Amino acid sequence: MTQQLTTITETLVERFPGAVLKDERPGYEGYLVSAENLPEIAQFLRDQMGYDYLSSVTGVDYLPEGKMETVYHFFRSTGGSALELKVSLPRENPVVPSLVSIFPGAELQERETYDLLGIIFDGHPDLRRILLWDGFDGHPLRKDWQEPYYEEEAKPFKSRWPEGRAIRVEEKNIFKKNVKYPAGFDPETFTPEGDTSLFASLDKLKRHDEESGMKSDHIIINFGPQHTSTHGVFRMAAAVEGETIIGLKPAMGYLHRNHEKIAERNTYLMNMPYTDRLDYLSPLSNNFGYAIAVEKLMGIQPAERAEYLRVIMAEFTRISNHLFLIGSLLNDLGAYFTPMLYALEERELILDVFEAVTGSRMMCNYFRFGGVARDLPEGQLQKIKDLAFDRLPRKIDEMDRFLTESEIIRARGVGVGVLTPEEAIAYSTCGPVLRASGVPYDVRRADPYSIYERFDFDVAVRYHGDVYDRFLLRFDEIRQSIRIIQQAVRDMPEGPVQSGKPQYQAKVPAGEAYGRVEGPKGELGYYVVSNGKPNPWRYHVRAPSFINLTALEKLCVGNKVADVFAILGSIDIVLGETDR
Amino acid sequence: MTTGSVWEWIIKSVVIVFGLLTGFAYLTLLERKVLAKIQVRIGPNRAGPMGLFQPLADAIKLIFKEEIIPSRADKIIFVLAPIITVIPALIILGVLPFGGIITLFGRQISLSLADLNVGVLYITAIASISIYGIVLAGWSSNNKYAMLGGIRSSAQMISYELALGLSFIGPILLSGSMSLHDIVAAQKPLWFVVYQPVGALIFWIATLAEVNRAPFDMPEAEQELTAGYHTEYSGMKFALFFMAEYIKMIAVSAIAATLFFGGYRFVLEDQYPILGPVWLLGKVIVLLFGMIWVRATLPRIRYDRLMAFGWKFLFPLALANVFFTAIGIVLEKLWLIPLLTIAVFLGAVVMVGISETRRWRSHVF
Repeated sequence: MTQQLTTITETLVERFPGAVLKDERPGYEGYLVSAENLPEIAQFLRDQMGYDYLSSVTGVDYLPEGKMETVYHFFRSTGGSALELKVSLPRENPVVPSLVSIFPGAELQERETYDLLGIIFDGHPDLRRILLWDGFDGHPLRKDWQEPYYEEEAKPFKSRWPEGRAIRVEEKNIFKKNVKYPAGFDPETFTPEGDTSLFASLDKLKRHDEESGMKSDHIIINFGPQHTSTHGVFRMAAAVEGETIIGLKPAMGYLHRNHEKIAERNTYLMNMPYTDRLDYLSPLSNNFGYAIAVEKLMGIQPAERAEYLRVIMAEFTRISNHLFLIGSLLNDLGAYFTPMLYALEERELILDVFEAVTGSRMMCNYFRFGGVARDLPEGQLQKIKDLAFDRLPRKIDEMDRFLTESEIIRARGVGVGVLTPEEAIAYSTCGPVLRASGVPYDVRRADPYSIYERFDFDVAVRYHGDVYDRFLLRFDEIRQSIRIIQQAVRDMPEGPVQSGKPQYQAKVPAGEAYGRVEGPKGELGYYVVSNGKPNPWRYHVRAPSFINLTALEKLCVGNKVADVFAILGSIDIVLGETDR
Repeated sequence: MTTGSVWEWIIKSVVIVFGLLTGFAYLTLLERKVLAKIQVRIGPNRAGPMGLFQPLADAIKLIFKEEIIPSRADKIIFVLAPIITVIPALIILGVLPFGGIITLFGRQISLSLADLNVGVLYITAIASISIYGIVLAGWSSNNKYAMLGGIRSSAQMISYELALGLSFIGPILLSGSMSLHDIVAAQKPLWFVVYQPVGALIFWIATLAEVNRAPFDMPEAEQELTAGYHTEYSGMKFALFFMAEYIKMIAVSAIAATLFFGGYRFVLEDQYPILGPVWLLGKVIVLLFGMIWVRATLPRIRYDRLMAFGWKFLFPLALANVFFTAIGIVLEKLWLIPLLTIAVFLGAVVMVGISETRRWRSHVF
């Protein structure tokens, strides 16, 4: 690995003399590149070096140094560890060339970075706010931006505990007095322009049929934010001609609470339960990614038994998530709840295990830095064994038999929403969406974390890239997860579940780390920057269901209205994670 | 025409309409109960014993709900549309025989409202009217989902009406009459479903589309168009649409029973004519259960595929069915009809299967 990185350094430095510098700060890795050379270097990385997968785009505000940085994580789609590029920008006017023309998958991520940090991506085709509303004042992830009821820089807030008695925040922030408006803003007269700019991006599709002399026009339909099949408050503005989609723009942010800003106020351990709330259908995978990122920073190894427990729980999470997906996708296809309820029956059994082991069915908060919170209670191992060796394989086969050969499901899924492997990589899609397009990229194999090298399992992959394959791939993944659980249960050693003694305040040295896991929805990454204080300086979530939506328009154009929901359902989004 | 017979008609009409309305109420309960059993749930069980008062509670809720008319809707048509939809559903059973002739209070009373000699034509004509209500509801709501739902339903109607109409022809040819009474009488030795298995199947599929039931519930397509043509309706106006759908379910099941399953005739009906309505009800419930079962089981077909299915599969098959029925009747070998039609049907299924499979897996990366 070091050998490989050295050659990359040499090649890059040789090819771009003066423009590429190794990041020498302690605890940091990757390269600092200059803004004007960035597209050239990215192109070179993609075409010559094989780094064709732009996983994550984000930014960091280094207020004390008076600069900002954009951070890019590149990967090879054949596997391996990250190549990290950073561009240092002035805080006053941060402008960086956009990478959308080279990596289309950067589109939504660059918009998010612009929205939250105010970094302007020059050449971006549609640089609008994405998570926040259009009248929003400022860019909240900048360190000098303060929320209306700002109290202190970091939790725990001392002002809430003046004399050993807690003060509730409601007493300090009286309703209606906790709002801060920008100068010259009046909520009574404000007319939001969000829809105008959203529709403007679709209006360029307008055309009139001149040959026949008849005036024809498309109509724009809003699906959502309140809609039965958008899996939450997600909105798509679609331009349709008859029932055929000719353009579609996702609009999100209705559930935005600035997860990242709140997490930067929290201490490291306080974020652990907070990650549960991202993708609330798979909380333990979220825990996993965050724990790995922070453990990388702290340089500790989790206890051996804890590793096995982590894997078992994460794979159960994947199964329960995929079961939910299979049910809700069938619902989106119009099957009136029957497959959904049978899938939920199995999911409930898995949640029973979660409840017994972690104490909660959905908001598990089970992982700790260096291990897990507690060991298996008495008798749970037998329950896990019953599930993994008997019930789940049987029930999955049964579901497979009833669903996959259904003529209507095939007719609705085959050839709908096709994503070719090249497009799938270019759009930075991840997880089942990527693998259904024939790219066998699974972080558990490509860049193994935890103890996944020890297990014998296959990377599920399918080769048609349509809704039907994405649907079948979930069955394949469930089967592989069951295999992993069976092996983990068999090999799990006795011993402590925490390395070191449990602590409320993690001591995290300065540096940065990018921890990623293969979540049920795809590559879930956490980019954490520490400056040695009890709170993370920067905490960024690479949310798979957010980034998979980049490809949504590509998938939907040319299909029918009914297909949009099949496609959206097959991508599998959870709004808690998309909007953060 | 005596005063007595006028009163007889009025009483019969009232009985039919109220019977249908009660049937609608308890059909919703039956559907919810059956769906729940299929879906490993319990279903409504709070209101009354076994949830028997649930329809009552639903009705009270719907009556007292606020009725909202969107400010930009076309108000007259918006109000008129549910009425246009529900009235055909209520009057469609006017020509249906519910039983033979019974003696009540010393009067001979025939258990049907009218014996129209073109009863089948009446049914096809009336059944098509309610679609206007749906299209107009979709158009007048000034809502894009509703608009799409309305357009879908009209397109769906055109695709299915032909196959439906052609499937009527089998029983007409076999009985030599368009009167439903004659058709029932002609089934005395053997139900027409024996001679017309394919015709009955086409009729059933086409009526599923006709009454907008899953898997052909395109116009309301909950997952796509939220509620389709009745998105903007609330309170009693919504209830009228709902009522129309369920009453039409009952009506088409009764028609199917009459055309193919011997109508009100079954064992002991000759001795005790009062059993006629009971047998008919039994057959209707079995057919309704089939509809509910389909809803619980199948996903929705896509709109364009539904049209293709109607035009390219059902319509030719219905034509072939009529053709072979005629051959069987001309040759006076009625046993030929089921053999030939089933052979044609299986051949068509196999051909469609082959061509579809080839098309499905044409691309691999």
